[in-house]
Amino acid sequence: MLFNIIRNDWRNLRADRSLWIIGALLAVLIGYGVHNGGAWVRFQQDTLTQAAEEEAGRLTLIKTSIESANAGRANPPSWRDPRNPFAVGNTQAAHYVSMPPAPLAALAVGQSDLLPYYFKLSLKSRDTLLGNDEIENPVHLLSGRFDLAFVIIYLFPLLVLALSYNLISSEKEDGTLAMTLSQPVRLGTLAWGKAGFRALFILALSTLISLAGTLASGVNLSAAGASPRFLLWVAVVAAYGAFWFAAAVAVNALGRSSATNAIALAGLWLGFVLLIPALLNVTVKALHPVPSRVELIQAMRVASDDITRQRSQLMAKYLEDHPEFAAATDDSMAQYAIRTAAILDELDRRVQPVLATFDEQLTLQQAMVDRYRFLSPAILVQSALYDLAGTNLYRYRHFLHLTEQFHAAWRTHFEPLIARNVRLTPAHINSLPRFHFQEEPFQAVFTRTTAALAGLGLSALLAAALSAWWLRRYPVAA
Amino acid sequence: MLEAQNLSKTYSGTPALHPLSLKIEPGEVYCLLGANGAGKTTTINLFLNFIEPTSGTALVNGLDVVQQPLESKRRLAYIPEQVMLYRNLTGLENLEYFTALGSTETFSKGQLLAFLDEAGLPAGAAEKRVSTYSKGMRQKVGIAIASAKGAKALLLDEPTSGLDPKASNEFSALLKRLSDGGAAILMATHDLFRAKETGTRVGIMKHGRMMAELRTEEFGHADLERVYLEHMHD
Repeated sequence: MLFNIIRNDWRNLRADRSLWIIGALLAVLIGYGVHNGGAWVRFQQDTLTQAAEEEAGRLTLIKTSIESANAGRANPPSWRDPRNPFAVGNTQAAHYVSMPPAPLAALAVGQSDLLPYYFKLSLKSRDTLLGNDEIENPVHLLSGRFDLAFVIIYLFPLLVLALSYNLISSEKEDGTLAMTLSQPVRLGTLAWGKAGFRALFILALSTLISLAGTLASGVNLSAAGASPRFLLWVAVVAAYGAFWFAAAVAVNALGRSSATNAIALAGLWLGFVLLIPALLNVTVKALHPVPSRVELIQAMRVASDDITRQRSQLMAKYLEDHPEFAAATDDSMAQYAIRTAAILDELDRRVQPVLATFDEQLTLQQAMVDRYRFLSPAILVQSALYDLAGTNLYRYRHFLHLTEQFHAAWRTHFEPLIARNVRLTPAHINSLPRFHFQEEPFQAVFTRTTAALAGLGLSALLAAALSAWWLRRYPVAA
Repeated sequence: MLEAQNLSKTYSGTPALHPLSLKIEPGEVYCLLGANGAGKTTTINLFLNFIEPTSGTALVNGLDVVQQPLESKRRLAYIPEQVMLYRNLTGLENLEYFTALGSTETFSKGQLLAFLDEAGLPAGAAEKRVSTYSKGMRQKVGIAIASAKGAKALLLDEPTSGLDPKASNEFSALLKRLSDGGAAILMATHDLFRAKETGTRVGIMKHGRMMAELRTEEFGHADLERVYLEHMHD
């Protein structure tokens, strides 16, 4: 029975050419999206390569400078001396800490074009780590690049609806519904047979094209964690497609005309894909605002002024806390270095509350989005896809966390060298701490994504249950 | 066999069909006459289980159409005023689909073509898209669907309206053949001439009520028209 319905639907679609037009459109959109995402990933990779090259060149230069200074061929002032640990740690050997694009980054640019993916790190204060000026701009969070995730979240439902808005209503309007239902066929069998077949077709097509596009854009599916992520990606897209097909069947089951169905479904699309996400965004920003950038700068300026006034007390206190530095106080450069370290420390301490508020508010925002993402399948899909591509706030915060750890390690590495006023050798340069990005454990991504997947599945089931309920009361005649 | 037992339908307080009892035996052609809105189509839709009866039951070969919708439809064929087929498919493909849905038997292409041929579809038309068909040709595909299914009961809703006299005559001949094959036929029509020619019985309906039932063999054509018009006066 189902086979006959599907074969007939296939023949109709094939003869109608609409399937081919939609299939071709889908291919073009996906191709263009993946191409865009791939270009952005390549740009990031190129930037990181250039940064690494620049740094390697710089370190080589430091080593040759050390040698020529040792040989007496050059006599740099102490604040530029490559043998001075403070000069090296604070500027000359500044290290790029970077978060390379995740395996599936080409599929969803997400927030990766707003959030920094590398920092040039040195002894300087931690506040320079925050590229926070972007976080306040709501437009950034709303607008996205034309990537595969954009195609899936915004355009894929429209294609699904184009293929399903008149699933039953057109048969009723053409009179074939009565002919079909005068045969021993239930309306439900007809509706689900057609919707199921079309869903399968679209999903198979989009998976195939995504896979082809993914491979073409240079994604390595054999990379660690890439294939389970890709499978989850496919599952999320499938669940999203199932939701929209079920919604279309539900609207069809109300027994209105094709034109009414089209308007109703366009309204649903508008609500779920545009309005609810925008409202949530505005609400989150209003309830948990992050302090303005101006506030941060103001706090730093006040702290800086205070610190300058209390320099000598600070120094005394700092030396009390760090007795190992006391020995070095006769050297003027070492004194400068220690004073700077003391000031940086105090500045960190003063600015900390404002930075903490930043972090706290962002965490609250994220928590609120996580809670209310179940209001719209589109938000669920977006959060899941960005998570799988590693272009969301979670991976960025993981990166920030690693960066702060590394920053502390960098300081710990240099402080004794400064305190003991060690003269650096090329061997010191070779053994500088290096940053290695470690991926967030897959388990965390898996847990968040499957929660979204469950939410999507539930929405689809809800729509299907409504359809089943309404289909039973479908007015076949009149 | 088709049977209505006190079958009625009321739409939000307005009766569309007053309790109707009716029995059509195999080989009988029962013609329902009446103005638009007399309840003819409502009766047919009740037999098709397209609408739920307010009271009473409709039986097809003894099967209650509400209790056993699929089983009863296996024995039923329906030819509406316009046999609506999938426009972009050929007559053969349409027949193949509806037959596959309705029949437990599977037919070869040759057998399906034979059904279309028997129904009088011009040779060569079977493999053309239905969008190129005339109304008469589509009605013939409808007949082919009914005969392929081996339907025990036929429901026809003004099947000849809009057909030219020749096509209408051909249609009646096909109907006669199905009836001779043992099908019980219920046909709603405005065509008194056709009713007299093909019908074995006629029922005259008005405002959802059966006004009179006649055996066609007992009446001449003129009598039928006179009785019909008498009932149509308010």
